[in-house]
Amino acid sequence: MTSATTSVVLQSSDWAYVLENADILFEGTVETIKLTVLAMVLGFLAGFPAGAAEVYGSPWIRKPVWAAGVGLRATPILVILVFLFFVAPFATSAFVAAVIGLGFRSAAYQAQMFRGALQSVDEGQMEAARSVGMTRFQAIRRVIVPQALRRSIPGFQNEFTIVLKDTSIAIILGISELLGVTEDLFLQSGRSGAALELILAASLVYFVLTVTTNRGIEYLGEVYEIPSGEST
Amino acid sequence: MSDPLLRVDDVYKSYGDEDVLKGISFEMDRGDVEVLVGPSGSGKSTLLRCVNRLTEVDSGDVYLDGECVTAPEADVNALRREVGMVFQDFNLFAHLSALENITLGLKHVRGFDDAKARERGHEHLERVGLAAQAESYPAELSGGQKQRVGIARALAMDPKLMLFDEPTSALDPELVGEVTSVMRELAEEGMTMLVVTHEMGFASEAASRMMFLDDGRLVERGPPEQLFRNPQHERTERFLERITRLHGEIE
Amino acid sequence: MSDGTESVRGADVFGGDRPTRSRAVLLVVLGAFWLWLLARWLVEWTGVPVGVPGEPFVDVALVGGPQTPLGVMVGSLPALAVGVYVTVVLTVVSIALGFVLAVPLSVARVYGAVSSYVSLSFTELIRGTPLIAQLFVLYYGLNLSQYFRGLTSFAGVTVDPALWVAVIGFTINSAAYQAEYIRAAIESVDPRQLVAARSVGLDQLDGIRYVVLPQGLRYAIPGWTNELVYLIKYSSLATFITVTELFTAANDVASETFRYTAMFTVVALFYLLLVLTATTIMSTVEDRVAIPGIGGAEGRP
Repeated sequence: MTSATTSVVLQSSDWAYVLENADILFEGTVETIKLTVLAMVLGFLAGFPAGAAEVYGSPWIRKPVWAAGVGLRATPILVILVFLFFVAPFATSAFVAAVIGLGFRSAAYQAQMFRGALQSVDEGQMEAARSVGMTRFQAIRRVIVPQALRRSIPGFQNEFTIVLKDTSIAIILGISELLGVTEDLFLQSGRSGAALELILAASLVYFVLTVTTNRGIEYLGEVYEIPSGEST
Repeated sequence: MSDPLLRVDDVYKSYGDEDVLKGISFEMDRGDVEVLVGPSGSGKSTLLRCVNRLTEVDSGDVYLDGECVTAPEADVNALRREVGMVFQDFNLFAHLSALENITLGLKHVRGFDDAKARERGHEHLERVGLAAQAESYPAELSGGQKQRVGIARALAMDPKLMLFDEPTSALDPELVGEVTSVMRELAEEGMTMLVVTHEMGFASEAASRMMFLDDGRLVERGPPEQLFRNPQHERTERFLERITRLHGEIE
Repeated sequence: MSDGTESVRGADVFGGDRPTRSRAVLLVVLGAFWLWLLARWLVEWTGVPVGVPGEPFVDVALVGGPQTPLGVMVGSLPALAVGVYVTVVLTVVSIALGFVLAVPLSVARVYGAVSSYVSLSFTELIRGTPLIAQLFVLYYGLNLSQYFRGLTSFAGVTVDPALWVAVIGFTINSAAYQAEYIRAAIESVDPRQLVAARSVGLDQLDGIRYVVLPQGLRYAIPGWTNELVYLIKYSSLATFITVTELFTAANDVASETFRYTAMFTVVALFYLLLVLTATTIMSTVEDRVAIPGIGGAEGRP
């Protein structure tokens, strides 16, 4: 790494360098967004059934799901990513390894979130549904899940920003996401002085992305809100 | 004479060490309105839930229209189509409008198409006086309105038997009347009803019979006049005296 | 599902339930882990003659030799133990300093006027940007490590200036998150408690200190446990600014021997044990300081 005696002062020439490479930063941002969205989708597709399994599944399903969840939640994402990359099938593509690593880690947390949401729906809702003759599955699908999903929105918002920020860790796999391209830029010879400006610019992008997705999901929540709040 | 509509045969139910139901047996014919009273903890709600198997009996049987519903091979969901239940806490589907609360069962359990379900739904909302609230959500309704939707939801399934689990206990006093008048109309129209309640006014006017449950046992059963004016057991007398003082005199 | 199960509240890692009978097994395993760590640390740095520095207690030849995966794993244990030490130091110091920063931050946010906005801006900025980026700003952007060239040892271990930069980075980051947890906890305390405190004659600051915080901090325990677990895991990011913590130690061995799967499995296990230690300790703490009706018992606010 560099050991330059860099001036801490934010120089305008350094900012000019940032602007010159705005297109590279943009491409990195696109990669970041791709990683985030794919990982969140995978996280939902794996996490929602896992959460439902932990609530409604038989012990044969619950225990392994819970154990897998603990493993994923207790391991640093950095370790998960490198582990996946070197375990053969995924060694072909760093991007795929990153999506799978970020995705399943998110799935483990989303499972917890959905588990909590499903359990928070009042037992009486299930009883009422069963009392009109619905099967357990129908009751879960048509009465419990719609309410649980709405309750999961704040947690989902939170998880989204976590995944977004964690994509920066994919730098270890050499993926050209935002932080990766930023590092490449300031590691180029003679350009270490622009490191501060570059990293600040990248941080600003992350911040804007975070705020935007938070507001976006909040808006979605309002659209699907149950009128005048939820009872029970 | 045809089979009784409901036959409860020597039902026992315990929760851990506690025996909640200790050998309950009775029969109801079509059109009967049976009111179940007793102190809290006497097992009234549990008994009700055993009839539609929301709670499973430990021993004994329940027969609906001749069929044994407590048999292991019995189709619980088919049973519940024929038995409607109204809950103390309403339990309206919070994410659906009043109309949708009713059509959910019609579409997914009875298999109606959307148009027919909505038609039926509107009919029943009108029947309980809530036609204007069809698109309102449970959180927007008063307690009395919510319970009437609950009754409409159960009725729309065209049940043979309606179970009421303390339908007015969670309501403010001034809202009780709108619910009990709906229940009274139902009784007059000939619906078979098993009602757990403290509303003695309803009991004395609408019930064909009353049952007094105490400590898991059926202590006394008979027409309301008998239990109120000529109780055969001292416990019955004491309980009804207390309840009447709390909930008002009956004419 | 609720038959004698004990829930480790707020520790996201475990979700709802952890059966009580495995708790005994867990304590034995954790006890063994920490005993081994202590033994290794003593051997490495204090010349206690129970082993040789750099050499595992179990002879590598006995488990198949230095070429086999198991041999590599066992052979790496001393290096990993040193890495754990750095990870632990990093985590503990950062969360402690972060806490010291977080309390005034959250008090300002809840009770302040202008300071509330300053506090809010700070926490939003820090929580809205990746931890790695923050570390990069400090290490590559501001080049803070140059100021720490002189401080090369901590508690007897030769230490890289980068470690200090990492501590600063983690402290700032952790302070922002802890401030959020503490804020939520303070706000969940009934405002009438402070009114009552004022009515007895305590001023605003004393009221907060003696009435609101003791209750609020107990509500904050689950969130705080989360933060501790988070720091343990994300301390691995210090590897990006050349700190030789646990992940770096494992990565170095892996790239030398090409036994990636083996080494990363071992290191994952180490992190799991560290996380388990944290949640076990916090759950005990929560039980010890529990006041009936505050925080712990039924669901969190």
